[in-house]
Amino acid sequence: MAKGVLVDIPKCIGCESCSVACKLWNELEWDEQEKCKTAEDRAKEPNNGLWPEEWTSINRFDLEKDGESVARYVKTQCMHCEDPACVSSCFSKAFQKLPEGPVIYDQSLCVGCRYCMMACPFDVLRYEWKKAIPGVRKCQMCATRVANNQETACTSVCPTGAITFGEREELLAEAKKRIKENGYVDRVFGEKEAGGTSWLYISDTPFEKMRFRTDVTTQPLPSYTEGYMKATPFVGVGWAAILAGLYVYNNKGKEPLD
Amino acid sequence: MASKAVKNLSRRSFLKFVGGTAGLVGISLNLTGCGDPATADEAIGGNGWMPTQYNAPGNWPTNVRGRVPIDPANPAIVRDDQKCILCGQCIEVCERIQSVFGNYELPIKKDFVCVNCGQCIQWCPSGAISERDDVNKVFKALADPNVTVVVQTAPATRIGLGEEFGMPVGTNVQGKQVAALRKLGFDVVFDTNFTADLTIMEEGTELVKRVTGELHHPIPQMTSCCPGWVKFVEYFYPELIPNLSSAKSPQQMEGALIKTYFAEKKEVDPKKIFSVSIMPCTAKKFECQRPEMNSASKELNDSNVSPDVDVVLTTRELARMIKRAGIDFASLPEEEYDKLMGTGTGAGVIFGTTGGVMEAAVRSAYFLITGQQPPAALWNLTPVRGMQGVKEAAVNIPGVGDVKVAVISGLANARKVMDQMKAGNAPWAFMEIMACPGGCEYGGGQPRASSPPSDEDRNRRAASLYNIDAKAKLRNSHDNPEIKQIYADFLTAPMSEKAEELLHTHYVSRADDFIPKKSEDKKIF
Ligand code: SF4
Ligand code: SF4
Ligand code: SF4
Ligand code: SF4
Repeated sequence: MAKGVLVDIPKCIGCESCSVACKLWNELEWDEQEKCKTAEDRAKEPNNGLWPEEWTSINRFDLEKDGESVARYVKTQCMHCEDPACVSSCFSKAFQKLPEGPVIYDQSLCVGCRYCMMACPFDVLRYEWKKAIPGVRKCQMCATRVANNQETACTSVCPTGAITFGEREELLAEAKKRIKENGYVDRVFGEKEAGGTSWLYISDTPFEKMRFRTDVTTQPLPSYTEGYMKATPFVGVGWAAILAGLYVYNNKGKEPLD
Repeated sequence: MASKAVKNLSRRSFLKFVGGTAGLVGISLNLTGCGDPATADEAIGGNGWMPTQYNAPGNWPTNVRGRVPIDPANPAIVRDDQKCILCGQCIEVCERIQSVFGNYELPIKKDFVCVNCGQCIQWCPSGAISERDDVNKVFKALADPNVTVVVQTAPATRIGLGEEFGMPVGTNVQGKQVAALRKLGFDVVFDTNFTADLTIMEEGTELVKRVTGELHHPIPQMTSCCPGWVKFVEYFYPELIPNLSSAKSPQQMEGALIKTYFAEKKEVDPKKIFSVSIMPCTAKKFECQRPEMNSASKELNDSNVSPDVDVVLTTRELARMIKRAGIDFASLPEEEYDKLMGTGTGAGVIFGTTGGVMEAAVRSAYFLITGQQPPAALWNLTPVRGMQGVKEAAVNIPGVGDVKVAVISGLANARKVMDQMKAGNAPWAFMEIMACPGGCEYGGGQPRASSPPSDEDRNRRAASLYNIDAKAKLRNSHDNPEIKQIYADFLTAPMSEKAEELLHTHYVSRADDFIPKKSEDKKIF
């Protein structure tokens, strides 16, 4: 059965064990500048702290709740859509949705067109602009661990149970139970968004205040994307230029890696 | 060839190499089963290493996991994520030894609950957690010819610093430490032992006033010299704040006096004094930034006078300064502290270990109550020595009878006793509590011993302090000539108006910083 992860935002204490675990397990490089950023800094960045070597990041939002000012920490990473737009937009099959849940990417099959990046409704894909042979990078939902009956690296280290790995269906039921018990916002983000995602979020503060894409369609995206792509075959040409521009924007003030 | 391979081995790949990759053996399934699509093991990533406890299949909660949250704005401690191996030791110590982590309900409100004790530094096996480095601020002040840099050293740094230079655990390097500080360019070198003695006078007088009813504050009186402990009370037991002695910690007393008493006596402009403390403690970094610790500025009515203590450096940071300056520590001569606030007694030096404040207090309380010198038995109060978390003693003081006292170190131990106190079961008159197990000698700012924290090292450091006391010419705080001098020339008497202003403080409840824990037995959240 398909696995998933439930993110219970009010339970997160911002320890960032999860993002360190991701680095350890996936051997992601440390970048001096990223290392010095705080969860508050990342929440203000256009890309929520996701970079080619940062597959997940903790973002801090300062909000008002019941007249009190509170902080909430939100973990960001690939949502692992049930019907992923990246998969259907990739004509060379570099992306794949596994029946266990993870949406994975195999660089050896990638031709570098970056259609996937355009298709992703959650903007989690990052291109390795600085590499000689660049690829696309994102959370793989620890596919080999999941295949080996282990939980994802990040959930395995969370000290509070803010992120729980399990059967998506069971987690969905648990999410609804917690919403009722704890008086959370009545929405499981990821239940229907983009046709449903393996990662599910619940919260006691409004999602739109924490930079969730709450306006994302609830329709499964593949059909949508295919149509979109077919209707505008020339879009790929201009896209590289747009992405290059975004790259400059996202990297302004950032030292190039050695 | 071989050397090249070793060189290229990153820390993580080394750990992976050591730990093995058993978890991955035999996974080469084609998980999709059709055509030629990507498979799990062809996906990017997933070739790294995780500590074994995280590789077990199954769900939360199983083992020790994760790590303590550290606020990027924490004044005392910082973490280098790149060094963290998620071993979970910091959570272990913070939750079980210090009973801080997890002693609140989720969600967190705004700040991370942390008493800044730095015990997580001592337990972190990879050196990922360390003190906030303030060395550069001090180098900058030293380089400024217009600034008089005054430094004080805590009782416990003299028996710790040597370890940073390869000396045996507990080596007393008091004289070399003074010499090193002068070499680094500090203008005046004072001893916090002096204000430890002063603390005894103030705190002892306060205790006598509580007992006689002259001061309407509850008994037992609890010590307030440990900023980690004070913050713990402010967080978790605000209703017991009245039990805390109003006396400042020795470092803050010395800081306030440096910018008033010293400035006046030596005719130095207090605005041009930069006051540095060398402490075995990371919580002192928090303490010196408390808004209350600004007495000199208040007393002199001059907002241009900076806080009483400008910068706190840990023992480790001082060692780094000495190394950076290229000073050969071992060959330094033994030098003396500067006069005025550089004389301490044996009672002052044992402040550096659990039980020491109590022993010092008992000696002077005897004197304050009876007007006579304490008997020799009070110079070796064995029931309050040693590394047990909770110690008790009864001291017979003529005219008063048996005075019951308690000594606690480690905040989980303190929590148990505080709960007992709240239930109305507190037979003591005076309680000494230190946040760090063993007291300041094993504080969060002390050299990280090559072995994990152990009572063996704690005992060795404590023995060194007791040895200094045993050999001291003066062993009672009230006999310190500089203490007599400061009361005669400046403060008038213990708890005089001026003493209250400069040497006493107040506390704030921090109970609103988090949601109190609902049930005691629920372990982690
Ligand atoms: S599932 Fe794996 S790859 Fe994804 S964020 Fe968690 S640790 Fe990283
Ligand atoms: S490990 Fe858990 S508590 Fe810590 S930041 Fe990640 S999700 Fe939050
Ligand atoms: S400094 Fe003390 S209270 Fe703070 S996280 Fe470390 S062990 Fe816990
Ligand atoms: S003790 Fe150190 S290495 Fe271990 S989890 Fe904590 S910070 Fe990381």
